[in-house]
Amino acid sequence: MRPYKVLLFIAGLLVSLAALCVVLPGRVSIAGTEVRWPTLSEVMGKPSEVSIQDSDSMEYRNTVIPEYRDTVVIPDTAIQETPKPVLPPKIEVDSTTDSRIFLSRFYASLSEAGTRVVRVLHYGDSQIEEDRITQQIREGLQARFGGRGVGLMPLAQTIPTNTVRQEIRMNGKVITPQQGPKRYLVYGPKKTQRKDHLYGVMGQVAVMADSLVSGSEDVIAMCKPQVPSAHYDRWRVFADSTIEWTTNGDTVHLTGRGFVYAISQETDTGVIVDNIPMRGCLGMVFTKMDSALLASFYQQENVQLIIMQFGGNAIPSNEKPETIRGFIKGYREQIRYLRQCAPQADILFIGPSDMMRLKDGVWQSYPMVAYMDKLLRKMCLEENIAYFSLNNWMGGAGSMLRWKENGWAGNDGIHFTRKGAKKAGQAISEWILNGLD
Amino acid sequence: MIEHIFAFNPDSPLLFTQFYFWAFFALVFALFALIMEVGAKDDASRRSRSRLHSRNIFLLVVSCFFYYKTSGVFLTILIFLTIANWLIAERIKANSQKLTAKVYLILSVIIDLGILAYFKYAYFFTNMFNDLTGSHVTIVDQIILPVGISFYTFQVISYTSDVYHGRIQPVKNILDFGFYVSFFPQLVAGPIVRAEEFVPQLYKPYRLSRRMFGIAIFWILNGLAKKIILSDYLAVNFIDRVFDNPLLFSGFENLFALFSYSLQVYADFSGYTDIAIGIALLMGFYLPMNFNSPYKSQNPQEFWRRWHMSLGRWLKTYLYIPLGGNRRIGKGTYIWWLVIAVVSSALTGWWIWIMVPFVAFMVGVFIWDRHADSTASSSKLLYSNLNSFITQVLGGLWHGASWNFIIWGGINGIGMIVNKIWREMNWHIRFGLMTLLTMGLGYADYSTNQPAWRLFAIWAAIVWIGTAIRYIYFLCKGKDSKWTKGLGVSWAIAQTFAFITFTRLFFRSSSNLDPATANEVAWSTAKNMVNQIGGAWNSAMIPDFLWEYRWVVAMFVVGMIIHWLPTNWKRRYRLWFTAMPLWLMTIVVCVALVIIYQFVSAEMQPFIYFQF
Repeated sequence: MRPYKVLLFIAGLLVSLAALCVVLPGRVSIAGTEVRWPTLSEVMGKPSEVSIQDSDSMEYRNTVIPEYRDTVVIPDTAIQETPKPVLPPKIEVDSTTDSRIFLSRFYASLSEAGTRVVRVLHYGDSQIEEDRITQQIREGLQARFGGRGVGLMPLAQTIPTNTVRQEIRMNGKVITPQQGPKRYLVYGPKKTQRKDHLYGVMGQVAVMADSLVSGSEDVIAMCKPQVPSAHYDRWRVFADSTIEWTTNGDTVHLTGRGFVYAISQETDTGVIVDNIPMRGCLGMVFTKMDSALLASFYQQENVQLIIMQFGGNAIPSNEKPETIRGFIKGYREQIRYLRQCAPQADILFIGPSDMMRLKDGVWQSYPMVAYMDKLLRKMCLEENIAYFSLNNWMGGAGSMLRWKENGWAGNDGIHFTRKGAKKAGQAISEWILNGLD
Repeated sequence: MIEHIFAFNPDSPLLFTQFYFWAFFALVFALFALIMEVGAKDDASRRSRSRLHSRNIFLLVVSCFFYYKTSGVFLTILIFLTIANWLIAERIKANSQKLTAKVYLILSVIIDLGILAYFKYAYFFTNMFNDLTGSHVTIVDQIILPVGISFYTFQVISYTSDVYHGRIQPVKNILDFGFYVSFFPQLVAGPIVRAEEFVPQLYKPYRLSRRMFGIAIFWILNGLAKKIILSDYLAVNFIDRVFDNPLLFSGFENLFALFSYSLQVYADFSGYTDIAIGIALLMGFYLPMNFNSPYKSQNPQEFWRRWHMSLGRWLKTYLYIPLGGNRRIGKGTYIWWLVIAVVSSALTGWWIWIMVPFVAFMVGVFIWDRHADSTASSSKLLYSNLNSFITQVLGGLWHGASWNFIIWGGINGIGMIVNKIWREMNWHIRFGLMTLLTMGLGYADYSTNQPAWRLFAIWAAIVWIGTAIRYIYFLCKGKDSKWTKGLGVSWAIAQTFAFITFTRLFFRSSSNLDPATANEVAWSTAKNMVNQIGGAWNSAMIPDFLWEYRWVVAMFVVGMIIHWLPTNWKRRYRLWFTAMPLWLMTIVVCVALVIIYQFVSAEMQPFIYFQF
């Protein structure tokens, strides 16, 4: 074939494809099946560009929120001993309020860290698995107020963490977490849930007498610190009184039949920050957990701050504003429930990060992220709790693209990489600590 | 608008899967046709040297523009390497003295590999220097790897080497040489075209039969479908998210992602080169075949003959044979062995644990080589295995200076050696060894209960079952029939596919540049995937997974079925396509593009957590 004939074929093909752009613009239904084809303007136009703010240069705390640090007063020891109010006083706020004002009781409690443990619980979805983000918050607080150890862990860890290497043995053999004592999860599928709601503070419970391995009344858990901040002074076991336990170095030996809610490595004083990831969870599960069990833990263990990091799992499958508003209502209920269980504790809500999806071949932010972020902040201010906008801090809509390119976020456009999680964790840690200064 | 068209924008390189590239190509081909047709009164005129020269210059300019749009100022590296190698080849040819010519050849290799090493290994060398001296030198801050640098560097090395060995005459015109180095369809992702294959085409007139035209269109379409449906769709909707965070997924999902990744890597790479071959063919240039259904291979050696064939040929010609092939082991073997030992030690920090056995082994080989008969089959086996192992490890190291690539290359090298030795064994020994291995691994799994041992034990058990069946068949003196042969071939293909797939646990890494990051990411990915596959299987969730990810699963199954179709079936439908009248071909292409576009624009598979 001579070149001009090839050229004619190419031209013919291009004309045919252009004609399809006219015949099949956008999305059309053919025999009940939706067929997509770009319009001419989409083909000729530049790909839609997203506005990305530089999160490094974006001083979220200085631009979005006015400084409030001058107004925070850490009470002296005498004041600390004053009984705390059951509920924080209602404070009139507007949209520009620095929500760290609602962490004032937590800030105040930190001055007790020299003599006892001040506990921070960090609940979240898969974004905080592997002790991501929590590790940086913990290290930031412990560097300043003392304390070591990772705090609460499930008896058998199904998702290894960066900070502790966990192993479980039964009958002298290392077993997988799935082979070990049966776990019940408040955030799991129905068959893993309990009717009696007795999950414990981590939203899960391991039943010692119920496992695939015979002799399940005898379990050895090994938890070896992998980072300096994970080194601890003492073991704790949160379990039924029927469970007996002894420790030997990095191992804890449990015997008996009953429930094990958590094991813990910690110190006698300082700040302990517990990482409690709930994969796939919307964050609506707290009301399904026994309030008496929660309350006794929160009060006995001096829980002064509860961090809730949820919202991300609500985004991909919900595109209607009314659905998002429904979620906000749900979060409000969860917050009120937790406040009843832990009236002494402050609450910090961390909203979802920017999230992206590939739509029509282009990475786009889920529009509901910004909407949910805005509503969450408003709700948190109304409920007198602190709010950190991860989405805003990242740079707003479209910022996930830059996070992906920089290796801070995974290819799914949703989860952070370890590097990204560290960056986010450090930012949150700084934000909390800056509220003290 | 003008700036958008002509200026370099790192965010929008010219990719074969984008409309802009095809608009660019249509324009290029229009001008190409103009050069070839205007003023041509007859065939002789069309074939005139001046017309071919104009065509070559035109394509050189276009290729430079293409590379500029893809890599910006790195075009200067391409130009520098072109000029340097052309001048050196001239000097090699001009020097009758072998030694001087060799010095020039070495000079060219140093320049070429030096530039490649700077871009690929600067982090590694800096880290190694710091580790050894305890200093904190930061020679490099951030290095961006120029697109396709490995491919064109290998091409220029092949050119000077071929000139030195007298396999080709030097290209007289530097512009023609520049065209060979920079020819845009294969510039970014190969195939690696050797000078002796491509340079003669520069002086041949344009020739494209009707059938070859159809083949070219078929390759382009085939490549686009592979790249967009089997590679990008599977990657975005499933594979990437599993590799990013294996712990979010069950063992079955991890295993499925690993096998899908095998398909994805193949579809991505071969799809791109299929398009390159098709585009070049439309312009009358023949590029070598780069993939020949590699997952049909019955053993690792065959796999490497079918996978990235142009790189395999390049490594064989310019590395394996100069090392001595199966005839000898020379200085090169010892030097490269030492280099591998030093690199491995530097990457792990285990200097004594690695250097001592490596050096001891080398001394042993040296003593053997001094006393053994080099023509004996045992010597040939040693030479061949050692040189091919080094070639494999260096092939791995070429992908990046991090231990995961060394391990990947090493496992492939060992796999080839083990397979060679295995095939030489009789059935009694095979069965005995396999039984012992299976029992050993089974015991290791039982006593440690570690996922990695479990994986090995299960794998060994599967291989043992196959071996036992064949062994019984052998003892019963069963005769080969069409069916038994077919079963044997299927078994070998399945085992090779599984082996190659598992080596890729170590292949995927987020960074080619920073060894520390590459090591960390690769290690944690491999470890977590093995833990999930060997531990958190969650079989109860498999039906849910298969249903929720039905499109992903369907694409994987369809992709593998097409891949495993008999070669003559594929030839038949290719010929059927090429024989179509042009109007029908246009319709078929349009329909195919509409189907492909459905995958570009498909809604993303939502996240579903099966494991809690």
